[in-house]
Amino acid sequence: MKHTYTPAQIIANFLKWILLLSLLAVALLPLLWLLISSLRTNLELQTNPFGWPKDMQWVNYAKALAMASLPRLLLNSAVVAASSVILNSAVTAMASFILARERFRGRDVLYTLFTAGVLVPVISFMVPYFSLITKSGLYNTLLALVLVYTAVNIPVSIFLVTAFMKSIPKELEEASVIDGCGFFKRFSVIILPLSRSGLVTAATFCFIYSWNEFLMAMLLTSSIESRTIQLGIKFFTSQFITDYASMYAAVVITIIPSIVGYVFLHDKIIGGLTAGAVKG
Amino acid sequence: MQAVGTHRSRVWTARVLFLLPVSVLFFFFFIYPFLFTIYTSFTSWRGIGSMKFNGLANYTKLLGDPTFRKALGNNVVWALSQGFIQVPLACLIAMILVRKPRFWRSLRTIYYLPNVISTVALAMVWVAIYNVEGPLNAILGALFGAEKRNWLGNPDTALFAVIFQTVIYIGYFMIILLASAMNIPRSLYEAAEIDGASTFQQELSITLPMLRGSLITTMTLAMAYGMRHFESTFLMTGGGPAYATTTMGIDLYLKMDALRYSEASTAGVFLIIMGTVVITVLRKIFGSSDPMSEMAQ
Repeated sequence: MKHTYTPAQIIANFLKWILLLSLLAVALLPLLWLLISSLRTNLELQTNPFGWPKDMQWVNYAKALAMASLPRLLLNSAVVAASSVILNSAVTAMASFILARERFRGRDVLYTLFTAGVLVPVISFMVPYFSLITKSGLYNTLLALVLVYTAVNIPVSIFLVTAFMKSIPKELEEASVIDGCGFFKRFSVIILPLSRSGLVTAATFCFIYSWNEFLMAMLLTSSIESRTIQLGIKFFTSQFITDYASMYAAVVITIIPSIVGYVFLHDKIIGGLTAGAVKG
Repeated sequence: MQAVGTHRSRVWTARVLFLLPVSVLFFFFFIYPFLFTIYTSFTSWRGIGSMKFNGLANYTKLLGDPTFRKALGNNVVWALSQGFIQVPLACLIAMILVRKPRFWRSLRTIYYLPNVISTVALAMVWVAIYNVEGPLNAILGALFGAEKRNWLGNPDTALFAVIFQTVIYIGYFMIILLASAMNIPRSLYEAAEIDGASTFQQELSITLPMLRGSLITTMTLAMAYGMRHFESTFLMTGGGPAYATTTMGIDLYLKMDALRYSEASTAGVFLIIMGTVVITVLRKIFGSSDPMSEMAQ
């Protein structure tokens, strides 16, 4: 028997897809527009800003990369993001191991304190961060950004990694203790390898933040040697003032790492986002 | 006895050692700045020289400052629009996706995508979209014959324009709500089906009440983020035109840029207070949920 739909169901179904597809358009069109704009000629940008480019102007990408500062800015961003991810993962893995697997008085207070860091808007710390970084002689260094990004991501990472480590069955660890594993062995041989998935999730969030961050980078650096690509496309694009097409190519280059990362790790990201939602 | 003693102290040394890096970073980048912000808000300090205590002078000055008041008002508009437009829309999408229509997984993944793209890049796109000669005016012109507007340059439309573009970030709240909707037991719907409840009735009397906790959580998040909004507005309009789109964060930045450090700190205290107010008020109205575990995202 064929399933038949009432008119009301057909209309509801139609409205449903209109909504889903308009949101899809909203999510994708800005990115598609950026991509297509990066392949136009500047004349096309002015005369035909929506149509398909006549010939794909891949040369825009060559021009963007030939811009003196772009490779340097990309390298700076890569160094900052990679260092922040490594440092953040290392320190949170260690702390989360204690917070998740050891029992001692004050443990829950400490955990609450660290994760409560997310309740504070970090932008309200512009003055103290600037003052701290300047006083410690780190102003205009990549290290300043690495420290800030590592620290700012601590609450999120502690939350995700501790939750993950808590879910590892106690028996595994007990067995290892009977086998004579000490404190460090329990961490490095048992807990750390089993927490890989949680650590990857936390690292992904840390990477996205560090690669995309703008405000602190603007606040704490001042020259091309230590500026990141986000500042580059905001400020150094003045070099492109007459060449918008190449500027869009530069912007596309900067978002490629995020998109590639998302294609491979979106399950981890979505899993991380919903880690707290399960409780409802 | 001796052996036990050394063993225990060794364990404690190891524990302290493992907690030390996070604690040091947390101290310097959360606790110290928090105390520093509060402390300097009671002083007259311009970044150099000593800090002179001046009581509540910064607070009265800031509350009388039309720019800051404009920023505070805009933040309230931000918070309300995020909490009462963004979240309900996200909830509607989650309620559709939980019934697993075709491609629901791909849709979920794509809806979240803009959240991983840099604000700088997206702000640049939106500036182009809102441009007088840009796509938005062209589309509105072709469809409704509307006249061209300078969306970001006109004080009447600028705030609407910078808030409207946040619709691309809807996937964030949608994913949280969807995960929670997927945990609602199927049996509830099956029972309602047998009782002859329509899909619409089921959504109203099962899904929405079951999502209550997550709705409070996402609304709290959305409004707290609305209060601390900075980046996309700063990049698109710099707070202009004529402070029409300024926020507390932008005001803080501009004051700091003008070396009015202690006033900037006072704005920072307001930012912290307003965020706390949002969380407390929502808890009072809707009862408690667990926004903190969600904030950790």
